[in-house]
Amino acid sequence: MSNYAEYVVKETSSNLWRNRVTTIAAVVTVMISLFLVGASLVLRQGASNAEVQWHRGTQVRVWMSPAATPQEIAAVKVELSQAPYVTDCGYRTQLDNYQEAQHLLPPSVFNVLKVSKVPSSFNCTPLTGPDAAVVYNEFIGRPGVFNVTAPFATLRNDQRYIEIAQWAVLVVALLLLISSAVLILNTIRMAILARRREVAVMKLVGATNWFIRIPFIFEGLIQGLLGSLLATGLIIGGEELWRTLADPNNPQAIGYQMLLSNWQLLWTVVIVVVVGVAIGSIGSAIAIRRFLDV
Amino acid sequence: MGPQRLVRTPLMIQLEHVSKTYKGSQPALKDISLFIDKGEFVFLVGASGSGKTTFLRLLLREELPDSGKIFEAGRDIVNLPKWRVPYLRRNLGCVFQDFRLLQNKTVFENVAFALEVIGRPKSVIRSQVPQVLELVGLADKAARFPSELSGGEQQRVAIARAFVNRPLILLADEPTGNLDPKISEGIMQLLDRINKTGTTVVMATHDKALVDRMRLRVIELDHGSLIRDQLRGVYGIDDAGAVR
Repeated sequence: MSNYAEYVVKETSSNLWRNRVTTIAAVVTVMISLFLVGASLVLRQGASNAEVQWHRGTQVRVWMSPAATPQEIAAVKVELSQAPYVTDCGYRTQLDNYQEAQHLLPPSVFNVLKVSKVPSSFNCTPLTGPDAAVVYNEFIGRPGVFNVTAPFATLRNDQRYIEIAQWAVLVVALLLLISSAVLILNTIRMAILARRREVAVMKLVGATNWFIRIPFIFEGLIQGLLGSLLATGLIIGGEELWRTLADPNNPQAIGYQMLLSNWQLLWTVVIVVVVGVAIGSIGSAIAIRRFLDV
Repeated sequence: MGPQRLVRTPLMIQLEHVSKTYKGSQPALKDISLFIDKGEFVFLVGASGSGKTTFLRLLLREELPDSGKIFEAGRDIVNLPKWRVPYLRRNLGCVFQDFRLLQNKTVFENVAFALEVIGRPKSVIRSQVPQVLELVGLADKAARFPSELSGGEQQRVAIARAFVNRPLILLADEPTGNLDPKISEGIMQLLDRINKTGTTVVMATHDKALVDRMRLRVIELDHGSLIRDQLRGVYGIDDAGAVR
């Protein structure tokens, strides 16, 4: 190891040890704030995963009036088969829907139902969630079309709740990130104060500005890095716990649908580490600029 | 006001019409012009507040003058870019009244620190530090901490640290101010010895006995003005002092 590398390692570690209480406080704050940043990212990606799943499972139904003529039914069929915003349109006859109603309706209602009064339908999968609304707007009121249905409200509500939760976590995380940067700034300031005699001697004997600054920059950087590594541990642990608790036998459950892929988890970890190092560097850079006059 | 130069020797320090005023106070230095040759020993005398420390701070480039030029070893230090200042200081050694030693480092480490922080290799440190400790008479106390040394010994360590990089100029700001006369005499002898190696020494002092006994060049400041520059002067005004 070169003289300088040895010097930086020695000085940085002694600074960290000398200010260990504030260092621990800074690292813990960085950890919590970055955990929340990570949680926000996990929530965002999980919601996106779940949204894809919901959209995959969402069916839009174009109900044909029981009195619709075969020509009207054929016209709707042709148009749906050519529409770019839906796939897999299957036609369900009046009898099919009558049999389905047997499972859905109470016997008192079902018993008075006649096959001839039940509408037939086209069950289609929209390409994306909003495409369900396009189908509605395109087909409602067409000759022979009785109604167009899709779980619009459920989709909108679930997305809204996740969006609110995600923003709330992000705002708290940002506030904590600012606190982390201030805490790191303060520990660097204390380190500078504790070493002011050494810094004065270094200046007198001709140490360059960067020679003096680098151990302090490393100190902030290490605090940020340590905090982010701990936060990474929490995020991975949390995701594992979620994976364990999610029921694979119930793939429709939101907890299962929100699980992240390994790539998504890796991406989150990379962002958390980069943000941690950036927070540490920014905190120490401000401290050096304000308190280390070289 | 400066003495006439009769012999052409290389200039080490040159000030041309240097003035300095700190915000909201009287001028610290007023239109100072002088030169100091290579290898000279100069006493800087004057009452407290006369501008001695400002003079040294300007030479160290810790301050910039409001006007005028300062040259050290032929280099204009006023217009020196900030990033070059550390390299300038590697040619300057500094000694202070309060020693400014690092209490958590041994004598050897204190001296070695001056070489470490300018990136000197370990082999150089291992050879130069014992040599300079030998010069200042502390070879046997290399492992001691400053708190285990007397005031005179601590000042010797400070001188060793200032000299270990073999600077062209040694600046001393009242180095005997905290020491008794006998110890001061030893420090003076040490600075004289360093001067004999060719290092230019500028020493601010209030020590009348020392200045009177050495009969070296004396520059006197009063309220920021240069009022006397004598070749073999004494602490007070001495009409008999030879003028170059």
